[in-house]
Amino acid sequence: MSNARQQIALVDVNCFYASAERAFDPSLEGKPLVVLSNNDGCAVTRSPEAKALGISTGDPWFKLAPRAKEWGLVARSSNYELYGDISARVMELLGRYSAWLEVYSIDEAFLGIKGTPEQMVGLGRTIKAAVQRNVGVPVCVGIAATKTLAKLANRWAKNNPALGGVCRWESMEPEVRDLLMARLPVSEVWGVAGRLEKRLNALGICTILELSRADPVMVRDRFSVVLMRTVLELRGTPCIPLEEERMGRDQLIFSRSFSTPLTSASEFRQVLSVYAQQASARLARHRLQAKVLTAFAGTSHYNPKDKSSPSVCVPLPMPTSDPVLLTKAAHALLPAIQDGVNYARAGIMVTDLRPSGNQQPLEPFANPHEERGIGPLVEQISRKYGRGTIGLGFAGLKTGLDWSMKRGMRSPRYTTHWDELPVVRAA
Amino acid sequence: MGVIIGPRVIKAGLSVRLVLISPVAVAAGFPSPAQDYFDGRIDLNEHLIKDITSTYIVRVSGDSMEQAGISDGDELIVNRALEPRDGSVVVAVLDGELTIKRLKISAAGVVLQAANPLYPDINVPALADLTIWGVATRCLHHV
Repeated sequence: MSNARQQIALVDVNCFYASAERAFDPSLEGKPLVVLSNNDGCAVTRSPEAKALGISTGDPWFKLAPRAKEWGLVARSSNYELYGDISARVMELLGRYSAWLEVYSIDEAFLGIKGTPEQMVGLGRTIKAAVQRNVGVPVCVGIAATKTLAKLANRWAKNNPALGGVCRWESMEPEVRDLLMARLPVSEVWGVAGRLEKRLNALGICTILELSRADPVMVRDRFSVVLMRTVLELRGTPCIPLEEERMGRDQLIFSRSFSTPLTSASEFRQVLSVYAQQASARLARHRLQAKVLTAFAGTSHYNPKDKSSPSVCVPLPMPTSDPVLLTKAAHALLPAIQDGVNYARAGIMVTDLRPSGNQQPLEPFANPHEERGIGPLVEQISRKYGRGTIGLGFAGLKTGLDWSMKRGMRSPRYTTHWDELPVVRAA
Repeated sequence: MGVIIGPRVIKAGLSVRLVLISPVAVAAGFPSPAQDYFDGRIDLNEHLIKDITSTYIVRVSGDSMEQAGISDGDELIVNRALEPRDGSVVVAVLDGELTIKRLKISAAGVVLQAANPLYPDINVPALADLTIWGVATRCLHHV
């Protein structure tokens, strides 16, 4: 096979959250459906029918709700348990089709594939059919020489039903490719964000086609090496390799909006304790330790008066996943909380993550809590008896968690909870 | 999304765990002669779930499959990847609902049958007109 080569396929689930909902509730088929963000705040995923109604991503639910009945619009709260499991199934299945798999986000992955152009398109169709049959969600596949072009090909596959959900960039006529790139603003290319767009526009680079024809050296000098790579990738030169393992995953964030605003430091003490312990559990599960913890809070975007967004960054005494240390660090935010201000969200972020057990601390620096295994114990009990049954200090109360996420329109957690299995009618 | 920002590895795996059968108890103080032979407990996932990407567990509501040994409240193991055949017990989409029936395929056509004479057959012109959600492979019947 002289013309066999390696290319990159981007596989992406169409309207992921909405598709996951429909997989278990066929009555949603053909109806406009939106999935709402944390706390039922705003639309994060729209079915094609909801898009056709003119609903945009980010539209707040309180604005859509009054017209929902008239539109026949159905809303669902985010069902993270379901989406996480469906995502894991899709990724597991994709791994069977390629030795090179990079899970890029909850609903998309890059795969390295080889063969003739026809074989690669055929594999794309096989993958699409397999995910639909096995897992039950629709995907589109974009194939190209580079990741950046695979993204564009995927987008074209989504917008052009005649392609049957699979598009290989280089299999299209050069004139067609140029036309597509000329129609898309530069902000639509992978890796070009808002501010960059303005600067490019000022240089007369408005479309993806114009960016692909820009001088790479000029782009490097005036912008960055990163943008130069994008230009080269648009021309078909692979510059961004597949990353199979993203071990030094940089950060974990635990953040929520509240159903009712928090107004005092004592309420924050409890919230921060819970996030710190969630972070501890997640770190322990992935055998990671953090070196830095950031705690933050903020007032609502919809409430411009008394704006406040305090944040503190706490270097930890040693890399740790210990819940006691993380909780203490998170509480450093408390003095910055102004009593009486309506805070709508809060969160913590742990950064500078590293695999645990890399360096043994010297005896005087060893952490007494980790020695006693408090973190794993709390995690074990939470798993057995449910979240919120045990916790450290202020996180340990099952009552009083009235600030926790509102998910009033959540569908059953069909695949992760025995008492919420999908029901099949024998009638 | 809001929970985690940026690319990340998502660990594949199925969180549904079935029953675990406990092994021989190990006596304290003296090494058990059985431990050399202990090679892990029976894992029902391994035996009942052929493909974790395509297998779902569903719960039955109603008595129309009673005579096929599938009762109200039983759990079924359903594999979406299996080809439905004549005689398969299938989960089919009927009027926007997941419904359990026996599939009959013959020269005369395709029929969805209940295993209870009180429920009428549903005739379908062709298999292509039918959305089969999955094929039931096991019934976890409550005895």
